[in-house]
Amino acid sequence: MLLIGTNLIKLTKELEHSFVEQLEKHQNIVHKVCRLYTNNQDAHNDLFQEITIQLWKAYPKFRGDSKFSTWMYRVGLNTAITLYRKGKRSINTQHMDDVLFKVKAEEYDDTEEQQLKLLYKAVHQLNDIEKALVFLYLEDKNYREISDTMGISEVNARVKMNRVKTKLRTILNP
Amino acid sequence: MDELELLKKDWQRDALAYPQLSAKEIYPMLLKKSSSIVKLLFYISIAELVFWVLLNSVPFLFDSYRESFDNMTMNKSMFYGITAFTYLIIFVFIYLLYKSYKSISAADTAKGLMESILRTRKVIKYYVLYNLIFGGIFMIISFYYSINGNPEVAKQLELVQAEGKETIFWLATIGMLILALLVFGLFIWLFYRLIYGILLKRLNQNYKELKKLEV
Repeated sequence: MLLIGTNLIKLTKELEHSFVEQLEKHQNIVHKVCRLYTNNQDAHNDLFQEITIQLWKAYPKFRGDSKFSTWMYRVGLNTAITLYRKGKRSINTQHMDDVLFKVKAEEYDDTEEQQLKLLYKAVHQLNDIEKALVFLYLEDKNYREISDTMGISEVNARVKMNRVKTKLRTILNP
Repeated sequence: MDELELLKKDWQRDALAYPQLSAKEIYPMLLKKSSSIVKLLFYISIAELVFWVLLNSVPFLFDSYRESFDNMTMNKSMFYGITAFTYLIIFVFIYLLYKSYKSISAADTAKGLMESILRTRKVIKYYVLYNLIFGGIFMIISFYYSINGNPEVAKQLELVQAEGKETIFWLATIGMLILALLVFGLFIWLFYRLIYGILLKRLNQNYKELKKLEV
């Protein structure tokens, strides 16, 4: 009995270790989801925390037949779109992208920087589902992966993606 | 260059700009409690089950209710049959609820996840609906029996009949019954609108957004 107990603890520790190791390696995926769905640092941390919990809760069922990162896209987006409850922390205090842009301002010439700032602003105006599609587009996912993540057909993913792109362009060039 | 291509380039170049968390910082996060919508939904479901079970059982704790129950002319074995049936239904709902909660997985597709949450929500909705319908029927039946077999009511009725105001008496009684049912229904409806309206508003919107594509 004691042996089973210690083995179980050992197994849990191993599971925990491999999970944290992989999450550490792929954490940018989570950061990027947070960047799209929140607009200040507190909310960003909050969502990061919730996605981590959801990933960890789902991890025992992760079978490795898909890549860890692919699996993370699903759980991350699902948490942001559906599971996460926006608390008072999501009330806008300071726009994250403004902070990021201040740091990086020197790297860009003026027009490109301006254009990007407008682009990110436009993305933030999209609804939750549209943001998810833009996110997968920015991550260079193909339509099959997009359809797998969202649960819609490839054709519908393509149609919707084109619509979102058009919508973004309309926001930018009214 | 296309604006979206520019965005994509920047997005991918941006990858290392996020403050990186170390394994040491990630470990404590695993111990934190989730505050997800599913968890809240789960607590609310439990509260609802308890609420309805209490609502059906609490009156029996009072002597006066038991007394009036004992005086009721309604068939006792029928009553016990109904009670057994009620508890059976509760267990069926608990089982269904458990099963649908189990099917909620964050690793599902976005649409799949939303559907399993909405399915869970439906189980509770049907439970409440069942309670309302059954409660309503039970209310009418017991109302009928309490009027029919009650000597106090019979005496009143005789008085009214003597005065020739029988129709008014019945109209007033039925009116009161309908009013009570309406107020009861309105209260429950408001309660659920409030809880689920707020809780599931975003989910419903997003689900609709996904469904729109399938037309």
